[in-house]
Amino acid sequence: MITAERKPLEEIIDSVKPFQRILLVGCNECVTVCAAGGRKEVGILASALQMNFMKAGQTIDIKELTLERQCDPEYVEELSTHMDQVDAVLSMACGCGVQEIARRYKDKPVLPAVNTKFMGASERQGVWAERCQGCGDCLLGLTGGICPIARCSKRLLNGPCGGSTNGKCEISPEVDCVWQLIWDRLKALGMEDRYEDIMPAKNWQTGRGGGPRKIIREDLAE
Amino acid sequence: MSFRKRLAAGEFVVLAEMNTPKGVNISKMVLDSRRIKGRVDAVIIPDMDNGVMKMSAMAGGVLMHQQGVEAIMHVYCRDRNSMALQGDLLASHVLGIQNLIVVHSEDMTVGDHREAQPVNELDELGLIAAIRTLQDGKDLAGFELDGRPDFTTGCTIASYKDGELELAEKKVAAGAEFMVTPPVFDLDVFAAFMEKAKRLNVPVIPTVFLIKSVAIARYIATSEPEANLSETLIKRIRKASDREMEGIKIAGETVAALRDMAHGVKIQTLGWEHRLGAILDAAGL
Repeated sequence: MITAERKPLEEIIDSVKPFQRILLVGCNECVTVCAAGGRKEVGILASALQMNFMKAGQTIDIKELTLERQCDPEYVEELSTHMDQVDAVLSMACGCGVQEIARRYKDKPVLPAVNTKFMGASERQGVWAERCQGCGDCLLGLTGGICPIARCSKRLLNGPCGGSTNGKCEISPEVDCVWQLIWDRLKALGMEDRYEDIMPAKNWQTGRGGGPRKIIREDLAE
Repeated sequence: MSFRKRLAAGEFVVLAEMNTPKGVNISKMVLDSRRIKGRVDAVIIPDMDNGVMKMSAMAGGVLMHQQGVEAIMHVYCRDRNSMALQGDLLASHVLGIQNLIVVHSEDMTVGDHREAQPVNELDELGLIAAIRTLQDGKDLAGFELDGRPDFTTGCTIASYKDGELELAEKKVAAGAEFMVTPPVFDLDVFAAFMEKAKRLNVPVIPTVFLIKSVAIARYIATSEPEANLSETLIKRIRKASDREMEGIKIAGETVAALRDMAHGVKIQTLGWEHRLGAILDAAGL
């Protein structure tokens, strides 16, 4: 999933200050799963904003709404009936959702209420960790299903650096050395010989290095 | 007189561009620089222009220094993070490079190392500000430097683009001390631009591009209409008995005409640096 964290309340208050009527929009997808911008978080943020403005002797009109998916034009269209009654949209979706609203409603300011963080997985209740950087040329088949691009601090492709100690990364004892994890996994799979293969320099063109990316499926595109 | 002093004194500066080799054979570069020594105020050394991997501009600048020719080195953000940029800037100063131009860098996808990872940590404005920070005796993390570098820093201005003057103003506010424009083919269009550029209050140095053939002229006219390379100019080269010489004459005439319009000129010959002398002759310099 795409993970996110809510921005500090002070920053959100500052961004909505110039506006009187706000449409606060959550998303039912990734940000709901990582408890950053789903229906529940929309309610909590709306109350927090109302309280803060009341304390300051001001009023703000907040309308709450949570879409099925904010990165999908089909669902973003649902906002159209509300747009003439608001001055700005405060989105609790990831950056994709914020931009989809901005693209569809060109005359309304759209403000982000969360910081989009990374593509990750849930490690345990309340903990999410980075797992994928979308490099566009997946090599998980070579590394035992554990990604050195997303999970090695140096994105090393050919084993650990000298900073790997007792299975931990030099940047923090809290961070696993991903090459230790890969080695352990390859051993468990009986695929240690895979470790001997030298991986050539990666082609970054399939990643962000090639500029903004797009997928066009000829069989589906209209 | 140094480039910096001439610029400050309002003297017309004549600059020539020389690319570093793709490899370590520096003989052409050294020979070309000897040919024009004393005839130009400084040589501009591009750094991996158009995303083509070449010997670093820093070495090119040092080579010029060794030949007794002042260098102006390009710096840009595609290939180096803020650590590498700062380290190289300190090294450049120590090795005798006194002048910089902060330039836009072509995207990695159009160069000759398309699989490489671009950096782009800083942008042009950020880099101009970083140079100023180093000159003030601090690095970007706020730590004190033991000895400050000193540079005359310029930047580029896309004279034909909307909003470019506003961007140039920001660059000046960040620390840019002069501007270099793209090639000038139409003097009237350039004069109109110079009128607008007065508000920048920094010297503006237009580029004069050596048109080597009709095909190149045609290519520029078609692919870059904003460059204002006219049919009349193309016809003039086509009709000439010696087309190569005609291109040199045109470049020389443009340089001569710009003496009354701008603060200097940058002559760009892209591989024909051995003809720089002929252009200067044609310009009466």
